[in-house]
Amino acid sequence: MFEPFTDVVPSFFGWLNQGPLTLTIFLHSVILLPMLWIYKQEKARLDSEG
Amino acid sequence: MANKSVWSDNRFWQRSAAWITGFAAVLLIWLTFDTMGQISMGNDADFKNGVTKRVPGPTVINYKITYEMSTKRGHEVPIIGGNDGQGMSLFQEKEKFFGRDDWSEEEAGALLHLGKLGSQTKNCMNCHTLLGNGAYYAPDLTKAWLDPAWGPEGSMQAMTGKDTKEEAMAEFLMHPSTYPTHARMMPDLGITADEAKGLVAFLKHMSSIDTNGFPRNFGKIQGAVHGK
Repeated sequence: MFEPFTDVVPSFFGWLNQGPLTLTIFLHSVILLPMLWIYKQEKARLDSEG
Repeated sequence: MANKSVWSDNRFWQRSAAWITGFAAVLLIWLTFDTMGQISMGNDADFKNGVTKRVPGPTVINYKITYEMSTKRGHEVPIIGGNDGQGMSLFQEKEKFFGRDDWSEEEAGALLHLGKLGSQTKNCMNCHTLLGNGAYYAPDLTKAWLDPAWGPEGSMQAMTGKDTKEEAMAEFLMHPSTYPTHARMMPDLGITADEAKGLVAFLKHMSSIDTNGFPRNFGKIQGAVHGK
């Protein structure tokens, strides 16, 4: 999954996009993990209100 | 109300949408600035300091450009002025462009500018592809300068009867309908000698841009390169 950076100009996005699925996995992680956190907060709120 | 689901709760979706929209906005702004750094043109000092830029400066027309396989990067890369053996440019080996290899930054920049304007007024992209933009009717021009057909052993150079690649390309651009190339022949666009010179400089510079191996397999597919 992690391969040495080979692009001509160093770039965070270039590094992210070096291997198959690395960009996809990163983007899904940063979008879905906080949603999981929001879900738990809202669940706790609904439970306490109920 | 103990059984109320989070999935039907408005606040959950509002907060999720706010997070995704905000994160995507920050990412896109960052990506814009990252891209601007990647595509800005280098200068003459980069060649003297041995700095490889994705888009080299205009004086790249003074150097010999080749397209060589980089095992590290897994595709071909433009090599400017000789290969250091590691797949990086040395910026040493010069090549005469219309009889000179001492084009100053201003002269080379003006020539490239003329070529760029020429490519726009003659609408090359109406048939050709340049850096991924344009049509698929005629051959891709992104790496046209590196096409062996225009080289000393190439059929295109032989056909025009010229001694150098740049003169052969300029001659073809001025009188394309004179030369039988293709079932789809290029029309005569009324390109002057100066414009042709600028266009060839534009093509030489474009071939030196590191496009991460695009177009794929350039130089390996017979029909794609030789336009047959």
